[in-house]
Amino acid sequence: MRRAVAGVLLLAAIACRARQESPAPTQTLSRPTPQAIEPGLEFLDGTKDGAPEAGGTLYRRLAGEPTTLNAVLQSGVFEAQVLQYIQRNLFDYDAKLNRVPGLAESLEVSSDGREYVVTLKADAVWEDGKPVTSRDVLFTVEKIRDPKVPAPVFKSLFEDLDKAEVLDPRRVRFRFRQPYAFRAMAFVLPVLPEHRFAGQRFLSARDNRAPLSDGPYRLVKWKTQESLELERNPRYPWDKGNFDRILFRIVPDNATAVRLLTSGELDEDQLDASQKAKIEAMGPSAPCCRLVEFYNLDFNYIALNNRSPLFSDARVRRAMTMLLDRASLVRDLYRGSARIISGPWAPDSPAYDASVEPLPFNPEQAKKLLAEAGWGDTNGNGTLDRDGHEFEFDLVVSAGSDIGRQIDEMLSAELANVGVTARVRQMEWSAFVAKVDAGEFDAASLGWSSVDANPDPYFYWHSSQCPPNGQNNGCYRSAEADRLMEEARTTLDAQKRKETFHRLHRIFRDDAPAIFVVNPTQKYALTKSVRGVTTSPLGLYGIWPGPLGWWKKAS
Amino acid sequence: MTAYLLRRLALAIPTLFGITVVVFFLVHLAPGSPISGGVDSLRRPTGRAAEEMRRLYGLDRPLPERFATWISRAARFDLGESFVDHRPVSERIGEALPNTLLLNGLALVLALAIAIPLGVVAGGRPESAFDRTSGAALFALYSMPTFWAALLLQTLFSVRLRLLPLYGMESDVAGSGFAGVADRLAHLALPVTCLTYGTLAFVARLVRSGVAEAASSDFVLAARARGASRRRALWTHALPNALLPVLTLLGLVLPALLSGSVIVEKIFAWPGLGRLYFDSILARDYPMILGLSLLTAVATLAATLLADLATAAADPRVRDGAAP
Repeated sequence: MRRAVAGVLLLAAIACRARQESPAPTQTLSRPTPQAIEPGLEFLDGTKDGAPEAGGTLYRRLAGEPTTLNAVLQSGVFEAQVLQYIQRNLFDYDAKLNRVPGLAESLEVSSDGREYVVTLKADAVWEDGKPVTSRDVLFTVEKIRDPKVPAPVFKSLFEDLDKAEVLDPRRVRFRFRQPYAFRAMAFVLPVLPEHRFAGQRFLSARDNRAPLSDGPYRLVKWKTQESLELERNPRYPWDKGNFDRILFRIVPDNATAVRLLTSGELDEDQLDASQKAKIEAMGPSAPCCRLVEFYNLDFNYIALNNRSPLFSDARVRRAMTMLLDRASLVRDLYRGSARIISGPWAPDSPAYDASVEPLPFNPEQAKKLLAEAGWGDTNGNGTLDRDGHEFEFDLVVSAGSDIGRQIDEMLSAELANVGVTARVRQMEWSAFVAKVDAGEFDAASLGWSSVDANPDPYFYWHSSQCPPNGQNNGCYRSAEADRLMEEARTTLDAQKRKETFHRLHRIFRDDAPAIFVVNPTQKYALTKSVRGVTTSPLGLYGIWPGPLGWWKKAS
Repeated sequence: MTAYLLRRLALAIPTLFGITVVVFFLVHLAPGSPISGGVDSLRRPTGRAAEEMRRLYGLDRPLPERFATWISRAARFDLGESFVDHRPVSERIGEALPNTLLLNGLALVLALAIAIPLGVVAGGRPESAFDRTSGAALFALYSMPTFWAALLLQTLFSVRLRLLPLYGMESDVAGSGFAGVADRLAHLALPVTCLTYGTLAFVARLVRSGVAEAASSDFVLAARARGASRRRALWTHALPNALLPVLTLLGLVLPALLSGSVIVEKIFAWPGLGRLYFDSILARDYPMILGLSLLTAVATLAATLLADLATAAADPRVRDGAAP
């Protein structure tokens, strides 16, 4: 669906499958090649499973309770997973990341790239029989832009909106101040029924927990902290859902979720490394499920604070990257299920230039770079220093991220060998995020999760986005990179834009604004009878039809 | 007695105020912010969007002013609304409270019902074989971590034997009447067990030492001399004395009925207050945290007061201020 969350730590990750037949030699860097995709990492195409069978119930897991089912107010993955069944977007992206129509049938762009006209399908209808109209679309966008409405997922997409107006009951015109190459992604936008919110306070409206559906399913029952039950929406005019019912079970504990999978009370779950290990330990005779593992657009990196005197010099930052042995990390920590990256994208992103080789693991070269930057052990205490300051810093990581901590410890050990002291510090999530967003850190383990396919690095690496303005947390500044980022986001020609991104990629590699680590695999378990599953660079859920295309084969 | 009660009540008000001040400032001064959302959030607002949210939640105003607003509302029983889902704090507490009361109340009753007889029997014959084995067993129970016990119980009763449900409060199709009650009880069995054994072990040992001590005291000997049976001497003479420390202990245990158990509620996906509290803290949902803290504080004060009153009623020395 949507653009990324910078700084969402990857909580999943260590792959524990012991598949060690390819012990990569430490010195030759394993490039992010497709050969890293092993059996079990296949790209599933659910349409090849034959004709769907209708009926039955799909049991899905939610690790936490959705805070709301008001699509504008949604903030997290739990809301998104449920809303996908209940609220259609104007447009969606399919597994190949092509835009597909949803409530809207067409999106016309003016030649200057600033005006967009959305045309709704004639038969788009609410659960109560009223048509979905352009008034509803306008109402939704007005709510998103209302300063008194927290709409964290959508706000930034419409900050640049100049004017939105209704042309007729089915058409809305949006005028933006600037053309933007990825603007169309803003129209992966749900719509709210204006008539249901009249006379109610928006934030606490009844519909926020009992939404009116315009999607294939409707909410039947929401038992707080227990479950959400959906059934087919009889008024939905297009492809009906395959299941009669969808039951979301709210199961906060990962170990309990695995037990529910094995006992058949859940049909699917995204796994972390320990869950995957548990299921694998049951062997091929595991009664429940098949494991699905594939690469999406997530990656992790260690942000370096470019404003800190320690990391303001690109040579020092490059040395940091060269001191992290990513090949061993992939082999030992990830058991092969991760790919080394050389820039701020995953290898499957169109922005990624596979010809940009990652910097090698090379402590000798790193030492030289540090010396060139003026760091030496002048006082003989074993730690590098410059102008009377020792090279020591805190390497912070969220307490929930085991893999992040392990990567940090590996780096810290290598750094100690060249006389740099990095103290690994774990912090509670909210406190950690506050530090990172304020730019108050020297180095921080972060992850980027692919909420949508937008590869625009502007929000995370452009100098205008340094804290507190935006999410360039490490405050990387480069006039050349700034210029290319500005150019890319206004280049409407996809091929030209790709070339600009590839130029940028090389700069990111050489400037090393952060230590780019790896693109790890995503792991899911699915009941064996579930069919129609298609993997995508955005995972299993955030695409259309995604889980709406699943069905169960009667045994 | 009335003077004692009034004195205690008068003392409770400043204590409560003190607690709210400390909690309010602790919560607001802790690092982190309700703006950034939890680990699962799709996008963190920054720049202008973050500024708007801070204003919306009043986080741009000075702390003393926010405290004054909150306390004046709380005094009128208005705990505000949650930052997370904008529902009234009292409504969200009201949803989770009965579930937690049911779970923890049952656990407490069960713990007492087992612990007291166990303690009396063990304390009646100190150093007997029963006393020693039960002592060792209770010690083992007391040191067993809840999460571990929960997983063991799940594995045995739900996965292997398939006797009891793994999680939750009721089945998808719960049935009505007797079947509904049976379903509820089946769902309660494992979490209640997890919450029971710790308290049980502790209370049993407490009763045992009280009874053992009382059993050798003069008034029990005198009762025996008057011809009371051994059993009667233990149950009607020694036990009431041994229960005094248990009463005090209950003052501390009762508030835990409300605050719930985060671990058990999480593992068994029980929709109770413990989970609500924990999630609210992670999300920095200030109004929820404050509401729940206030509830716990009131419960603690009330339970302590009750326990003191009960002790006073049971023990004239306390009532008359003659106790050391």
